[in-house]
Amino acid sequence: MNRREFIGQAATVVAAVSTLTACHSGTSVIAPSDRMRLGIIGVGSRGQDLMRVFLRIPGVKFVGLCDIYEPRFAQGRKITGEDTPIYRDYRQLLDARDMDAVIVSTPLYLHAEHVAAALDGGRHVYGEKSMALTLQGCNEIVSAVKQSGKHYQVGLQYQYAPEYREALRILRSGKLGRVLQIHSYWHRNNSWRRAVPDPKDAQLEQLINWRLYRKYSGGLVAELGSHHIAFANEVFGTFPQSVIGSGGIDYWRDGREVPDNVQVTYRYPNGQTLFFSAITTNRLEGCQLRIFATGGSIVLTQDSGTLYYEPSTAQSAVPQESIVDHGIITAASYKAEEPYKGKGKKLDVPSDTAGNPEYLACNSFITCLRQNLRPEANENVAWKAGISVALGNQAIDAGNKIVFPADSNQT
Amino acid sequence: MTERRLFSDSCHAMGTRVEIHLYATDANRAALYFEMAFDEIRRVERTLSLYQNQSELVRINRIAAREAVTTDPEVFRFLQTGFEYSRRSGGAFDMTVGPLLRLWGFSNRTMRVPSDDELRQALATVGWEKVALDPASRTVQFREPGVELDPGAIGKGYAVDCVASLLREEGVNAALIDAGSSSVYGLGAPPDKSGWLVRVPLPGNPSQWLSTVSLRNNSLSTSGSYEKFFRWRGHNYCHILDPRIGSPVNGVLQTTVISEHAADSEALSTIAFVSGFQTSTALLQEMKGISALWALGEPRTVDQIQSWNWPATVAIEDLRYKSSVRVESLET
Repeated sequence: MNRREFIGQAATVVAAVSTLTACHSGTSVIAPSDRMRLGIIGVGSRGQDLMRVFLRIPGVKFVGLCDIYEPRFAQGRKITGEDTPIYRDYRQLLDARDMDAVIVSTPLYLHAEHVAAALDGGRHVYGEKSMALTLQGCNEIVSAVKQSGKHYQVGLQYQYAPEYREALRILRSGKLGRVLQIHSYWHRNNSWRRAVPDPKDAQLEQLINWRLYRKYSGGLVAELGSHHIAFANEVFGTFPQSVIGSGGIDYWRDGREVPDNVQVTYRYPNGQTLFFSAITTNRLEGCQLRIFATGGSIVLTQDSGTLYYEPSTAQSAVPQESIVDHGIITAASYKAEEPYKGKGKKLDVPSDTAGNPEYLACNSFITCLRQNLRPEANENVAWKAGISVALGNQAIDAGNKIVFPADSNQT
Repeated sequence: MTERRLFSDSCHAMGTRVEIHLYATDANRAALYFEMAFDEIRRVERTLSLYQNQSELVRINRIAAREAVTTDPEVFRFLQTGFEYSRRSGGAFDMTVGPLLRLWGFSNRTMRVPSDDELRQALATVGWEKVALDPASRTVQFREPGVELDPGAIGKGYAVDCVASLLREEGVNAALIDAGSSSVYGLGAPPDKSGWLVRVPLPGNPSQWLSTVSLRNNSLSTSGSYEKFFRWRGHNYCHILDPRIGSPVNGVLQTTVISEHAADSEALSTIAFVSGFQTSTALLQEMKGISALWALGEPRTVDQIQSWNWPATVAIEDLRYKSSVRVESLET
């Protein structure tokens, strides 16, 4: 796809809003034809969270759990409350009959393989973000979606978050002028390392702490930046033109291979910029997106939004004859350019759209499958965020500007 | 067998401090257990808390008056447990009590005595029978608008049970999980001890205690009124309400219940507080392994102590309190 195709997607976004509101008007009586049988590949902590959310949607049942780490099966079955069939090889799960869709929540380096295999096997897929570890992986998934004709949704739930959609609506209305800058942060103060039962077991260490190793992980840019980058792509209406980056292992020198802090700056075609920073040594900024437009700003956190208008500037070239007659007042003071400390205006969302973004995203996926609609966070959205992540990491490694492809690579 | 040492850690969650003390072979293993435990506490909080606007309970509260809401097996089982306690206690325990707590101002510390009209209006939206749970579809529905679910009187205990279960599965054989000191679980026992010691204080006086018990694979919960109450026109009003009449319970200072699971002991300590000795013990008689202790009186004045199946001596260590205190113990 190219930039023109992406801008055309905006119309699909508007049409697909109905899948969100539809979730509140359903009944609890589900026809047999509407029952959704899901398999899941990757039953780690993310996969388990997703299972709980999917089980809050009427008519959803898990018919297969797949993982390579034995404790996950008991954990997964505790969530389903049933003796759900288990698989240690994803190909066997995909061979099982009576499965409508598959959730892929394995480590990033496996996304392309698992998602493509599930699509080729005739299943719709809900794939965790980022789309894939590499550009090639992203292209493979796009191809597999096209060839299979199945639906794919990526786990970029900000697409569905009511406060984010409301912010998008305001920005697109032009009420805040031109949006030229987005500065986003995901700052934490912890090592990002998970405890391992036996730290001397190298295989177990890499299984549980896969996010720290380059072979498996896109680091902070992939795990945290995906969400913000995808949202910026929506705001700016396209994907970036180029990226520069910096980062390093500057504090947590514990054998990890990915940087413990990253800063990436993306330039977009219309003079727009996204800056994303993720650090692990201070949490003052937390998780937030700060959107700076010429007429105002919006700050979005994980569950709220605040609007700030820019103070209006005085008109110049206005006749001021009174100054000649009455003079001006001198004073030995100046006004410092202090950060704005005012409260701002809380972003209110229409009450029938309020909700947990994760639930809204998962419910929208199931609605799309039931009504044969194209998911909003589809392979186009995923690709644009996915390549942004991959090239951002390249820029950090290379230390120079990386230019994005104008069009996607067709396989 | 490798010698195990005692490690302690805590986190802030569910509006309180959760402390965990456990025995592990080394600091690395202890760190693993603490990470799992605190992750689990935060997960339960994310799911049930009314103070997190994206929690599952908030979602149910928003929609269930309009239509039946499907929820996941864990949340459904949690609600079933709560509503079973409502049924068995005749409504003394009731998760729909939220509007009343807000009316009396206990939820946001603006305590006041509501008018009869206000009470009548709030009571119209309160009542466990106004909630329909359907196990076949795992749905929750409110029969009236304005009903809401509040996990307050059982949620902490549930979180403590989840942690205990996780640690046990991981092979921890001695741990004390303490959620704000009001909901406690003793897993196993410290080496060479019969259990984890918990002192039940004289209400309002943590340096004087009524009883010392030993927990071993069971839990203890305390409900108390002496810290959260207000005084208006000569009368004390505490934050534990009788959901059936909409106003605070009178004359009870503290109840403590021991039972196998923390969710049960938390719910039962509320039932004991609201229903009083006679009515509660009729219910406790039907259950296994429950012990209960009441301290009656008004803030700053303990009048009477009552106990049911209590496993330890009940006596006030320091008799500087009113000389009319009686210690009454009724065994089965």
